[in-house]
Amino acid sequence: MESLNESSPALAFEKDAFELTVEDVYDISYVIGRDLLKISNTGEEVSDLQFKIVRVLEMFETLVNKYNLSLEEVKMERDNLKSELDRILSESSAGQEAQTLGPDKLVVDLKDPNRPRFTMQELKEVLQERNQLKAQLLVTQEELQLYKSGMLLHGEQAMVEVDLEPLPRSEQFTETTHEIEDGPKEEKSTISKLFSFRRK
Amino acid sequence: MAKKTYDLLFKLLLIGDSGVGKTCVLFRFSDDAFNTTFISTIGIDFKIKTVELQGKKIKLQIWDTAGQERFHTITTSYYRGAMGIMLVYDITNTKSFENISKWLRNIDEHANEDVERMLLGNKCDMDDKRVVPKAKGEQIAREHGIRFFETSAKANISIEKAFLTLAEDILKKTPVKEPNSENVDISGGGGVTGWKSKCCS
Repeated sequence: MESLNESSPALAFEKDAFELTVEDVYDISYVIGRDLLKISNTGEEVSDLQFKIVRVLEMFETLVNKYNLSLEEVKMERDNLKSELDRILSESSAGQEAQTLGPDKLVVDLKDPNRPRFTMQELKEVLQERNQLKAQLLVTQEELQLYKSGMLLHGEQAMVEVDLEPLPRSEQFTETTHEIEDGPKEEKSTISKLFSFRRK
Repeated sequence: MAKKTYDLLFKLLLIGDSGVGKTCVLFRFSDDAFNTTFISTIGIDFKIKTVELQGKKIKLQIWDTAGQERFHTITTSYYRGAMGIMLVYDITNTKSFENISKWLRNIDEHANEDVERMLLGNKCDMDDKRVVPKAKGEQIAREHGIRFFETSAKANISIEKAFLTLAEDILKKTPVKEPNSENVDISGGGGVTGWKSKCCS
């Protein structure tokens, strides 16, 4: 009995207007059509009204259909926007973290092959080593040149010596004059070696 | 016995804004050449040039610094060892001239108190693009009691003169030795300030 009641087309009349489906409209049409049949034999006026009612029901069908379709579209659009929002939020969370580091911080793109990745101290050390090697090369070149030419001509030919101390005195400051006096000690070996070799 | 090929060693330093031509000024002086392609100096570099002044062979070790602010900590650590500093600006670049006071402050903060200073207004061959009048350079140099030259590394104007003048000014300050010291005493002690002598046994 209950199940019969539930499936009864007349139940469509009790529904909320915004919950109506096209099937409900058909149920309503069915009930109205059935009831009209009961009075259809009374004359032409009723039959005229029947057509009008059918027309209204058709319009009703179209409206319900359209409403339901629009509702579905809006729901889909809402879901799309929701997932888009989630994606953007998770993506920007990394950026958010960087931003909270402070205004003086820099965001580095780890995929950039030219991104900065050495510290100033490392660069400083590399440059010091480069300059030291450069100084040594200059000394060697000069020694070689003297050895090739001048030294073979003159016993008294001057030996080369370049200040191999291109690096600035870091913390303990010595006067430049002392610095110069400091020089010869370290350079002795190379110079004297070459010299005694020649004199032999 | 052997002695050095030079009598004195002077350490010089070039500073100034990025792109004013410090490296070109040095390259003109050391190699008498000029290169138009701009390669920004990374941190610090140097060149050696031996000159003769008042009968003395003076080896100039000239440090070339990067003008870019990001190398500031590296470059300023080289100020202290310098006996002479050349501050270079670009006569076609107002900003580089305005920054002179900033560079002078760096010298005050990081260099020896008695360091010899010099101001160079470079690129003076580009008179059509000049924005800093020569008189303004002269004026600021006068205010700070330092020498001033307008130079052009490209056209080779006053480059050598500037370096030699700076070396001369340093030489004047250098304690005087006995005049006939060309035959350097090799008896080890030496002790003459600024003179490098070498003894080989």
